Amino acid sequence: MLRITRTPIVVERLVRAVRARGAGAIVTFVGTTRDHNAGRRVMRLEYEAFAPMAVAEMRRLAARATRRWRLEKVAMVHRIGRVPVGQASVAIAVSAAHRVEAFAACHWLIDRLKEIVPIWKREHFPGGRVWIGPQVTPPRDFVSKRRRAVSVARRRRTTKAT
Amino acid sequence: MRLRFFAALRERLGRGGERTVAPGTSAGALWRELVAEQPELARLRVRIAVNREYVEPSHRLEDDDEVAFFPPVSGGR
Repeated sequence: MLRITRTPIVVERLVRAVRARGAGAIVTFVGTTRDHNAGRRVMRLEYEAFAPMAVAEMRRLAARATRRWRLEKVAMVHRIGRVPVGQASVAIAVSAAHRVEAFAACHWLIDRLKEIVPIWKREHFPGGRVWIGPQVTPPRDFVSKRRRAVSVARRRRTTKAT
Repeated sequence: MRLRFFAALRERLGRGGERTVAPGTSAGALWRELVAEQPELARLRVRIAVNREYVEPSHRLEDDDEVAFFPPVSGGR
């Protein structure tokens, strides 16, 4: 199960999707929308995706994690559109024979998802709204040379894209 | 070729559209053309995907490519 959705995420569905007879552990991560950021109140968040590419990148990450940690199954769902505070915006579930691999893979997957899957977040706060991004170019070791992430901006120009 | 813009870039440039570029133009050169037309874009950092795969700025474009320009993805820690 690898998808982008406009409806609330049901974590139990991801857990069900990764159940396997060979699994001794299922680890889940749920990212939820927080009511504050950088010292200001957040009223809601809004996510935008380049959906077909986002799903393709999720598939590549899942395949890579499955090879590296010998996972049984992977499920990743990201919600887009308006997401009220306190709700899940992203969820990941992985199953593996043992918990050590399941924890490591789940951690790696959420970090890579945030770095390379084309999904953007806009924060709505009292008095305005702003696009949020890490403003960094991700490390280059996790994608093949052919499809590395790039930044064409000059290094000294690091003003926020907001 | 077809251009596509997302998030903060979409708000400045619209969703995108058709564009013709000189043969042999690279993805990075196309971005510099866009910056030349709208200099305020120079302060944005972008990543480029061609046909839904990330590419280096040196990647040569073909006539029927779909070229997507992204601000950094959503982040958090």
